[in-house]
Amino acid sequence: MNKIFNFFLSFVLTAFFATSTFAATKVVWWMESDATTDPVVQEFFVDAFNAEHDDIELEVVFKEDINDTIRPALLSGSGPDIFDTPGASYIKIYQDAGLVKSLQEYADQYGWQDKLLEWAYNSGVFSGELYSIPKNYETMIYFYNKTLFEENGWSLPNNLEEVEALAAKIKAKGMNPYAYGSTGWQPTHEHLVGNYFNTYAGPDNVYKALIGEKKWTDPEFVESIELLRKHMVDDGYWSGGLETYYSLGWDDFNGEFVNRESAMLMIGTWGFNVTATNFAESSDDWDWAALPILHPQAGDKPNYQLATGGTMSVNAASKNPEAAAKVIDWILSDRARVLNVTGQLGYGAWLMPLHYEDSDFDPNIDPRQKRFLTEFAEATGTGNYGYTTWTFYPNDPGVHIWKDMEVVWAGDITPLEFMEESQRLWDKARADDALVPVGKR
Amino acid sequence: MPKFLTNINAISWYFLMPVLFIHFFVIAFPSILSLLLCLTDWNGFGKINYVGLENFEELFRDRIFKKAVYHNFIWTIMFLTIPVIVALIIAYLLTGIKRGQLFYRLVYFFPYILASIVNCLIWRYIFHPKHGLGGWFENQGIDFLSKSPFAMKETALYAVAWVDMWHFWGFLVIIYLTGMYQVDESLYEAADIEGATKFQKFRYITIPMIRPIFILSLIIIIIWSVPTFDYVYILTMGGPAYSSEVVANHLYSQAFQRMNVGYASTIGVMMFFYVGIIVGFFALLRRLGWEV
Repeated sequence: MNKIFNFFLSFVLTAFFATSTFAATKVVWWMESDATTDPVVQEFFVDAFNAEHDDIELEVVFKEDINDTIRPALLSGSGPDIFDTPGASYIKIYQDAGLVKSLQEYADQYGWQDKLLEWAYNSGVFSGELYSIPKNYETMIYFYNKTLFEENGWSLPNNLEEVEALAAKIKAKGMNPYAYGSTGWQPTHEHLVGNYFNTYAGPDNVYKALIGEKKWTDPEFVESIELLRKHMVDDGYWSGGLETYYSLGWDDFNGEFVNRESAMLMIGTWGFNVTATNFAESSDDWDWAALPILHPQAGDKPNYQLATGGTMSVNAASKNPEAAAKVIDWILSDRARVLNVTGQLGYGAWLMPLHYEDSDFDPNIDPRQKRFLTEFAEATGTGNYGYTTWTFYPNDPGVHIWKDMEVVWAGDITPLEFMEESQRLWDKARADDALVPVGKR
Repeated sequence: MPKFLTNINAISWYFLMPVLFIHFFVIAFPSILSLLLCLTDWNGFGKINYVGLENFEELFRDRIFKKAVYHNFIWTIMFLTIPVIVALIIAYLLTGIKRGQLFYRLVYFFPYILASIVNCLIWRYIFHPKHGLGGWFENQGIDFLSKSPFAMKETALYAVAWVDMWHFWGFLVIIYLTGMYQVDESLYEAADIEGATKFQKFRYITIPMIRPIFILSLIIIIIWSVPTFDYVYILTMGGPAYSSEVVANHLYSQAFQRMNVGYASTIGVMMFFYVGIIVGFFALLRRLGWEV
């Protein structure tokens, strides 16, 4: 009887310890859902990670409107181990509320500062500690119909005079200089504002205003807004006029660009994928260029505005932060894998800001895309970069930029009044300690 | 068994308790919380600082809020007139139709059962400057609707209200029709004997007899106009240049885009008081003997 009891006891104890010792730690990640991205992420990140690891089981839950779902989860002390956010301004709020875990010890342990591009790493550092890692980086450029340019003998503009001369030639041909629209995404206005700040006022001045050494009401910013107002309202550069610009959505203006109704498309680098796809069905060819400098005070070389498109962070209430950090490190440690994933997504998502080398790229990569990745890294590496509003602005001044720009276009307020309101909101954000990190220039 | 458990009056309260309980936690408690939050500068996450009446001072200086209040007023006036008049006439005409009335009722009511996003997309395409009516007219050489009314600040509010009214008026037809069927047929017979015209019967019999349901519809319209949000948000997001911004839209923007939850609560409190005044006004009418 004793033998049977001893056998039974040892069996139960062995089973208990085996389960508790070898059971994989589960890491749950709430990720912004996207029909194109989700299956690629599942296969090349989630399934690949789980195949390589016995000790950690990664589960990604794809969520619509992640920002709305994560907020109540974090506030109630629950939620996933890792979560996505739309950007650094949200992290600042979570950090103030103690809802997000500092990743500094893991950054030191795994050497994340060396793996990430310096500006991208700094964008997640709050009060001296790392709290978020960008999932994607992007910048503003413009695409152009190369065939159309060659047919008409047009060359790419390098300054304001050339931009306006080219626009006049394009309009004379019955086309719009640029395709763009804001239906479905009102914040597209801020793309244009950021472009004019960085190419007219210049990134040095923008930087000084971001850190409080200059006022947003200084002439270079007011003049930037006035120039944008002129180009939008008086000259109708975007899709023929303000009302059409307000009426067009993403499909509309992308269609307008490929159908030769517009010669250029000034957009973020997320436009690579759709431009390549649309032009694949057209007899025309396309290419891209950095935004031309509109005033000498903005420098003599084109700059690339820095932007992170979404971040990843660890929940302060996570019971497995070490395992979560291990998951993040696994992703950051294989540049070729990241490039493979982002390549399948047309480099519009999961283009993590890592130090890519030539050998990391797929040999079949579109040379135009590769040129962007290389030139962006080179230019930003030498400090030739600008700032997007959606990465470096706190919430309130950021919303003001795209909401109230319409009021300027409507002629209800002047560019100076617009910038005065901007300065007031920046002063308030600064007083409330709501600024997001900029990184020393 | 204790008497209070079997008391017939108490039993009805027991049945009501689950609903009251849910209402307390879902409506009353957040409302009370909102009353407190309007005195703070809370951003929705972090520390809550008491700021006294600062939010109210800012609210009365806020030009967007004033504009939004004005737009809500215009919105209410439009809804109190156009769909009400059209629905009354159509409902009255429908009472005279014996064959195929159900078909008309279904057709008129159909937009009401469609999701707001569907209604909005339909009208966005209709007013699309290239693919909608504007494009079609342009092909015919006519310059009409070449610009979307949603994209012009002079027309955006009215265009959005038009879409919402298109979706809403069928609902009014149904409730007015229901009221008209309650009217005693002998009144119309007496009027016929007296030689009353169709309009006179409508004016002197139908309207007075459906007054309770008519007043109810007006109360519904006034109260529903206060938190109106979805059609504005989907079609224009309050633009261009705040020309279609309404109060609920402004509240949403402050709470979820600008993260000024304390300030947004102040807007919510003002909306709450406004609805309270309307309800109080109609309660007063009832006390004065109106059949409200």
